[in-house]
Amino acid sequence: MTSNKIEELIKKRQMENKKKKNQTPYGIGVTLLALVIYLALLNYNLRFSSFWIIGILIGVTMQRSRFCFAASFRDPIMVGSTSLLKAILIALIISTVGFFIIQYNTIEIHGLHLLENIPGQLKPVGLHTALGAILFGVGMVIAGGCASGTLMRIGEGYILQIVVLIGFIIGATMGARHFEFWDKILISKSKTIYIPKYLGLFPSLIIQLIVLVGLYFVADWFDKKNSIMSSM
Amino acid sequence: MKIYHKIFKKPWPYWVGGIILALLNILMLSITGSAWKVTTGFLFWGAGILEKVGFAPNKWYYFAAYNNGLKDGQSFFMNTYTVINFAVIIGALLAVLWASEFKWKKIKSFRQLGFALLGGILMGYGTRLSFGCNIGAYFSAIPSFSLHGWVFGIFMFVGAAIGCKILYKYLL
Repeated sequence: MTSNKIEELIKKRQMENKKKKNQTPYGIGVTLLALVIYLALLNYNLRFSSFWIIGILIGVTMQRSRFCFAASFRDPIMVGSTSLLKAILIALIISTVGFFIIQYNTIEIHGLHLLENIPGQLKPVGLHTALGAILFGVGMVIAGGCASGTLMRIGEGYILQIVVLIGFIIGATMGARHFEFWDKILISKSKTIYIPKYLGLFPSLIIQLIVLVGLYFVADWFDKKNSIMSSM
Repeated sequence: MKIYHKIFKKPWPYWVGGIILALLNILMLSITGSAWKVTTGFLFWGAGILEKVGFAPNKWYYFAAYNNGLKDGQSFFMNTYTVINFAVIIGALLAVLWASEFKWKKIKSFRQLGFALLGGILMGYGTRLSFGCNIGAYFSAIPSFSLHGWVFGIFMFVGAAIGCKILYKYLL
């Protein structure tokens, strides 16, 4: 497609948009509703109110930037585009630094021996992680979205994603029902590996940043070579 | 009006979204002590429904192991996961309404519906094995310096490749 044709399409789209109804009144209504819920949660449970406000900001950000974790893994395979994957790598670089500072402050006080004290997501790693991730990856591509993307699309009005959510609830409940079996044969035999415990705090930070930045450049190179978008 | 147009009408670049999501995740960990997680909330709803119809899921092995149970003052329906998951839905709804772009989008075919349900079940089951989805076991786990985040990321890619093969064969 030439850029002229794209511009024509954009203009056509904009004309259609102008014809569409103005939804600002509904927008104001839902904004007020969100505020009322925030105030109610503030009284009910302070922690809940923080989750509410951050969650709203996550939803707005994901919708506005068309963020999709599923597409970040699917697009490199299907269309050779890594622009979403690169955005996620940028996010991982920034949060690595942020999480490091938070964990560092805790470790200064409590030390490294009790992993439960360290803030963040520290979980056992083993064959079960790989198995779960493969199931998740397959499901995410054929359902056309992961967990966070499903929530975002429900907000956008996609009825299909309500079906995905129902499937998600069924699957997660079945998985929890069978958890004893998986724990006995796999999970209980594996342990949580907190990388800084083995490599040291600052070396882990530096190594992880180098790996993430390296992956960013690989993704960038891959995109330039393969993306059907950039050759247009 | 120009700023309004830029923020609420035009899509943001992906990298802007990435930066903001990272900052929000850091903010969440520092304020609440917990990083962003999604899917355990879906399990809680499923367990809550089972409880309503007379089962006793809270007696399951799962909820007694690995600190998996409900925290004090929380129930299967009223917990931090419910709050943040609804907030993400409302946030996305707000963003489309401000842009006047909201539209109900119907399901196109029976086949699409089947794949959506199957995909959801596979993802849901997978999350119980791997202690989270691509948020809890990847987007929040890699910055936590836990090895399982990297393993999850690599094998999710393997799964996505298999999923793409299935898509080509049956859906496209």
